Amino acid sequence: MAAYAANTLEMGTAAHGGLKSSLTGRGESIRELDDIDALVKTHWARLLRFVTYSTGDPDLAETITQDTLLRAYNSRESFRDESSVKTWLTGIAINVTRDHLRTKKYKFWARVKSTAIDVHEMSSFIPAGGLNPEGQLLAREKVKLLSGIIGTLSQKQRTIFLMKFSEEMTVNEIGDVLGMQVNTVRTHLHRALKAVRGQLGADQ
Amino acid sequence: MTSGEAGHLTEEAVNDVLIGLSSPEADAHLAVCQSCCDRLEQFRSTMKMFNQTSLAWSESRPSTDLRAAVRPKARPAIFVRTGWALAAMALLAIGIPVWNHESRILHSHASASAPAPSDSETQIAEDNDLLRSVDAVLSENEASPLSDYQLQARPHPRHKARPELRNR
Repeated sequence: MAAYAANTLEMGTAAHGGLKSSLTGRGESIRELDDIDALVKTHWARLLRFVTYSTGDPDLAETITQDTLLRAYNSRESFRDESSVKTWLTGIAINVTRDHLRTKKYKFWARVKSTAIDVHEMSSFIPAGGLNPEGQLLAREKVKLLSGIIGTLSQKQRTIFLMKFSEEMTVNEIGDVLGMQVNTVRTHLHRALKAVRGQLGADQ
Repeated sequence: MTSGEAGHLTEEAVNDVLIGLSSPEADAHLAVCQSCCDRLEQFRSTMKMFNQTSLAWSESRPSTDLRAAVRPKARPAIFVRTGWALAAMALLAIGIPVWNHESRILHSHASASAPAPSDSETQIAEDNDLLRSVDAVLSENEASPLSDYQLQARPHPRHKARPELRNR
């Protein structure tokens, strides 16, 4: 848990600045931001997954996801249409996560109590998708293995890995949100991929 | 360098393809090499499985109703400015006639009442003369109780006449 939190302090400093500098127009997306219920319905689960794996703490992730959506709704006037709402929200989530992990209260409770991701529970949600029981078992094991491997990455690598392969953001979008050069993002992704593919198996 | 052993893509080249920064050479190789395509597909299918499973898990978690927590939508700045401008105009429309009316009333009152004359030295002297003459008339008509005893009134040596009486 502490390892999850350790490097978060260094992250996301330019998330808002990078976006603000690149956002100049307004359009259809602002309507999506005007309805808090629609915002929750569309983005809650995706943000919760991202923050859960980013922090490694599902309970904290719920609080952060809630704060992220509230912050986005309350500052929706500042949203410009040059990036997608999804990318904008991810940037806010990274900032809110950093703010939460910085607080003394969090640091105290992280020592006392922390809830970890239950990979067994998580893997039980594997979609049937026409798999036979044996295939489902293999898929579950793979998901559990990958969850564990992602948890061993550094905070920076994990966040960038999730932004790329779960949030399906481009390297440029990741660079904009985190205020990083494309080459730096690429380096982090290479390191993360080396660790993940190396541990998943030779043929990955 | 995109080619490794047996002419296949190196790990770095495969990672670049996965990241979305593939080179034209790597793309050309993938167009003809099923083995390297399988390596990419293995990772992609694992990630897809992970994403579907983790999303299904997070969808199963109850979301919070945030409607109560949101503050009312701030009105656009243009409406706020227009509102203030209208309020100012209404204030002026009511305030200017009222102010004009009040000042007109004050002016008419002021012109109706003549200015009070200030007491001049001459006026004071005339008033004192008048009072003295009144005193004299009164003292002539009223017999002094001292006259019964053949006495004459004298001012007390320790009592100095008060300045306000001296002026009378």
